[in-house]
Amino acid sequence: MDDVSSIIFESAQRLLSDLSERVSAGRPMADCERADGWRQIEEMGLPFALMSEAQGGLGLSDAEAFELVRICGRNVVPWPLVDTMLANRFATQGGAAPAEGPIDTLGELTAEQKERAALARAMQMAGALDVILVMTISHVQERSQFGRPLAKFQAVQHSLAVLAGEVAAGQAAAEHAVARLARGGAAATLAIGIARARIGEACSKAAAIAHQLHGAIGYAREHRLHLYTTSLWRWRDEYGTQTWWTRQVGREVLAAGPDAFWPAVTGA
Amino acid sequence: MSVLAFPPPVESEAAETLRAEVRAFLADANAARTPLERAESWNGFDREFSRALGRRGWLGMTWPKEYGGHERSAFERYVVVEETLAAGAPVAAHWIADRQSGPTLLRHGTEAQKRAILPRIAAGECVFCIGMSEPDAGSDLAATRARAERQGDGSWKVNGTKLWTTYGHEADYMILFCRTSGTPADRHEGTSQLLVDMRMTSGVTVRPIHDLMGQHHFNEVHFEDAVLPPDALLGTEGQGWAQVMGELAHERSGPERFLSSIQLLIELIGALRGSESLAAQAAVGRLFAHLVTLRRMSRGVAALLEAGDDPTTHAAIVKDLGATFEQELPDIARSLVDEEPDLRSTSDFAAVLAYTMMAAPAFSLRGGTREILRGIIARQLGLR
Repeated sequence: MDDVSSIIFESAQRLLSDLSERVSAGRPMADCERADGWRQIEEMGLPFALMSEAQGGLGLSDAEAFELVRICGRNVVPWPLVDTMLANRFATQGGAAPAEGPIDTLGELTAEQKERAALARAMQMAGALDVILVMTISHVQERSQFGRPLAKFQAVQHSLAVLAGEVAAGQAAAEHAVARLARGGAAATLAIGIARARIGEACSKAAAIAHQLHGAIGYAREHRLHLYTTSLWRWRDEYGTQTWWTRQVGREVLAAGPDAFWPAVTGA
Repeated sequence: MSVLAFPPPVESEAAETLRAEVRAFLADANAARTPLERAESWNGFDREFSRALGRRGWLGMTWPKEYGGHERSAFERYVVVEETLAAGAPVAAHWIADRQSGPTLLRHGTEAQKRAILPRIAAGECVFCIGMSEPDAGSDLAATRARAERQGDGSWKVNGTKLWTTYGHEADYMILFCRTSGTPADRHEGTSQLLVDMRMTSGVTVRPIHDLMGQHHFNEVHFEDAVLPPDALLGTEGQGWAQVMGELAHERSGPERFLSSIQLLIELIGALRGSESLAAQAAVGRLFAHLVTLRRMSRGVAALLEAGDDPTTHAAIVKDLGATFEQELPDIARSLVDEEPDLRSTSDFAAVLAYTMMAAPAFSLRGGTREILRGIIARQLGLR
């Protein structure tokens, strides 16, 4: 990762976390605040970040582009920023101009475009999973019951250990697919399927534990936890549901048969 | 950044060339093993197979050449380990020595100990067993009561009992974790590791403990005024706890922690081959995704080890997730294939299912229980 991309990551993180802070859970943003926020995002060039340098993008490698997408996942904002980034990339690749303003739906996608969008969702999930882990650790350290912090109860410690394991596994699967993207073709498709199957499951388990450990407080609309958990529940089934991706992987493994199984594991 | 990031695995061309060699070797050396025998995973014991690996330079791979090693990378060793496990080869005669006893000797042993033993391990000629658990010290290893008293002539007199000693009845050596001063109340203080020659030491009795299948892998090893020579001390007197924690990091870090059920997964795919069942596709797709992910994480742990970083927490996560994966397999197989599990069945699926179902409870006990691992992870998260 070079200096330029780390500057991009740092400024994106700063801006998006600032905008994310302004989202008070349970209360919509005022119109003027909305317009101002999106203007700042555009000023930083984020909607065009995934376009090629020749077309006015930031010239990020695939690894860097998906790292930026992970940062977007870490900071829930009230605009479809990642979708806009993808739409502008796809539009300019097809010779069209990038769009004005945030884009909600990507419309008809080629198979390759759908895969890239699916992987983007996986990396958003990777980012948001980190946030709910950190939020949950903080909560159990701050909240006391029966005269001691929740963190001191062994049942709570073990639940958090499971949460941390799921987060680590989901992230590893998503990172694996980003690393495999360069291979292209069926190998990249399989790796994306693996990522979506694994991180989708991680989201289910992690969100359930995060809510359980936050107690009723985390179920309230005014708490920020749901900004992340409801995002995870949505993202895990977009650009191909978790079930669809998982079946794609399974069909391929079953068609290849038992003798091809282990070589497929080491080759994936 | 992430709270617990796993480093990416290191891709190595040398390792992939080696993989082809190992596969070719196993296709021949392991051909006669039945699926049920393969399902025994790392319990299969065959000295001749271990010698054959040693002759090819596939044991003690990362150790210095002067001690019989081959100075290859941790990633090359990883290839040999995962390929032999995936093939269900009988690895037990070299397993413990190559994985943890050898590295412990290399790190803490005297020059004489290293020269005497490491080349024999690398040749596949030396079986080690682990002397950690006791009747009253299981997960709570610091409660160890076995005791070695220094005698006037510098020798050690050992009394106590070790338990669940895998292949203790075949072992040439044990690395004994015991108390050399103080009392169990002193916990980590006053413990040491000693090298026990299981063939030459009198006062050592090995009794079999059969598992629920009636198989004999475990033993109880009883020491009654057993005398060890002065040079039996391994490492530093009183530093046993720190040494044993380092040894456990090796014990917990490898691909054996998620590959124990792989033969059942292979049989399941054989039974479901070409299935149009959506449930079968979803289940197999999920298992494959888990396995590829666990392997990536585990290779990341190998990268930590190679870089000299402490892999304790990462290894605990892989082992916890890995054991859960291994243990889920029998019930998933049962839900998809309508066949009675039966060890004596002529159906490979039925026999392997029966075996794996009965082996599964041990997966989250051996090498550190699930509860101990989750405690380690929680400590890293700042909760303890």
